[in-house]
Amino acid sequence: MNLTILSSVFRRALRNISASPYLHMAATGTIAFSILIIGAFAMLYMNINDLIGSWQQNIRVVAYLTDKVPKASIEPLRQNIAGLYGVKRVRFVSKDQAMARLRSQLKHRQSLLDGLSENPLPAAFEIQLIRAWQSWGRIDPLTEQIKAFPEISDVEYGEAWLHRFSAFISFFRLAALIIGGLVFATAVFVCTNTIRLAIYAKRAELEIMRLVGATDFFISTPFYIQNLLEGLLGGLIAIGLLFASYKLFVANVQAPGVFMGPFQGRFLSLPGTGALLAAGMLMGWCGSFLSLKQFLKP
Amino acid sequence: MLDDAGPDPVVQMYHVYKRYGSQDALHDINLIVSKNDFLFIAGPSGAGKTSLLRLIFMGEEVSRGQILINGINLQRVRRTKLPLLRRNIGVVFQDFRLINSYTVYENIALVIEAAGRQRRYIQKKVRQVLRMVGLEDRIYTFPPKLSGGEQQRVALARAAVGDPLILLADEPTGNLDTDCADMVFDLLKQLHLRGSTIIVATHDRRLFEKAQGRIVLLNNGRIEGEIRS
Ligand SMILES: Nc1ncnc2c1ncn2[C@@H]1O[C@H](COP(=O)(O)OP(=O)(O)O)[C@@H](O)[C@H]1O
Ligand SMILES: [Mg+2]
Repeated sequence: MNLTILSSVFRRALRNISASPYLHMAATGTIAFSILIIGAFAMLYMNINDLIGSWQQNIRVVAYLTDKVPKASIEPLRQNIAGLYGVKRVRFVSKDQAMARLRSQLKHRQSLLDGLSENPLPAAFEIQLIRAWQSWGRIDPLTEQIKAFPEISDVEYGEAWLHRFSAFISFFRLAALIIGGLVFATAVFVCTNTIRLAIYAKRAELEIMRLVGATDFFISTPFYIQNLLEGLLGGLIAIGLLFASYKLFVANVQAPGVFMGPFQGRFLSLPGTGALLAAGMLMGWCGSFLSLKQFLKP
Repeated sequence: MLDDAGPDPVVQMYHVYKRYGSQDALHDINLIVSKNDFLFIAGPSGAGKTSLLRLIFMGEEVSRGQILINGINLQRVRRTKLPLLRRNIGVVFQDFRLINSYTVYENIALVIEAAGRQRRYIQKKVRQVLRMVGLEDRIYTFPPKLSGGEQQRVALARAAVGDPLILLADEPTGNLDTDCADMVFDLLKQLHLRGSTIIVATHDRRLFEKAQGRIVLLNNGRIEGEIRS
């Protein structure tokens, strides 16, 4: 490879683009649209994951004791539970402490409790988990272990809907992968066809090049450049649109704290943005590769 | 004919067949062309002249037999090496095959550009061959704006620009009036004098009656004889 060949290759790429601008605009638009969809899914997925992560960090497991547990066996039991894998700290809350807490939460309506002849609240262990255990997959087996102690009547954590939500997230991830794959394939298909059209329009010219001793590199590189440029441009457009939508979202929905509470949504990371650009260029590259593979067959 | 092999063979064909469908376009061709030969392949239309040239410039593969170019057996050449080998051969196609969206300059420069020559060299060389064919003033014209004779000369300039070992010309005077035909033929003779090996396919008796060189008679895909004039 040398300067002459490189400059010839770039010249012909630009020439191809300016010779059929609408075709290339269509291809660029398709790539932009595809990257926009893929990027939107990625951002949604990332932020929902963040949100769930922030919820999971606040998971507190509460194990209720039966009323028959003698005072003397509470401390050994506490230590047993504290010894389980994944448990960071265990705090005992007696029936009286639980009642006191309830009273302070009720504030002005404490009188509601005055009619009770005895304390209905159970004593409990409040269990904090180490970070690695703050995920649904590991909490379940741990709570089973705790439930197995005869002194424990029940174990509670999080809320059921949160659990179901995480199932939804797995589904969402799968759906996003499938849709992303389809969108990617569509973009590759469109790129393949734009190049195929370009090749078809130039088949006589390409045949001549071949006959005067041009290499496959010399003949096909302009098409690769063309599609890579389309991919780059499409990717940049998509990222621009994505960023603009994100800013709009932050200004109108998140900043006023409409429903997200303290949660901060974020834009794609730099590597993530780079990956989107790379995906756009990969679409273009695949398009060239597939169409040229047929043409360059001996 | 094989006995005619000169000391320095550039094209060697042994028992070459070319088959299109069920029809033999070329049948048991044995031909040796030596360095600096001026060879005519003469025969009526449909005799297989174009098919023969196409095999030499590697536009197609033989159905059977062996072809060696400059001592290299084409069947043993890897696909990626073909371009290098093709640069030994300049071709003037029967239908010119110029790129209509390229200027005359670009059409000719393409050959040595693909070979990766330096920009300076390309500029100098393209002007030089254009001067040779007398079309310097047409350098930035597009082929559709040229007459048939001018297109033919551009095609010849393109075939010559890479200083090929072998120059093939398919019916180089086929569509031209006598003056133009004479001019093109003179150019071929000039290139021959400069050391090129020339192979001309033609059905035009006038062309080889007044020429010097070997004349291979092709008919029905078979070589029927050879004349030296
Ligand atoms: N690409 C092709 N496909 C099928 N038949 C072909 C092809 N090229 C040439 N032929 C046939 O081969 C024979 C020789 O053709 P050609 O080499 O063009 O002859 P010439 O150049 O002497 O007129 C003809 O009968 C022609 O129809
Ligand atoms: Mg012919």
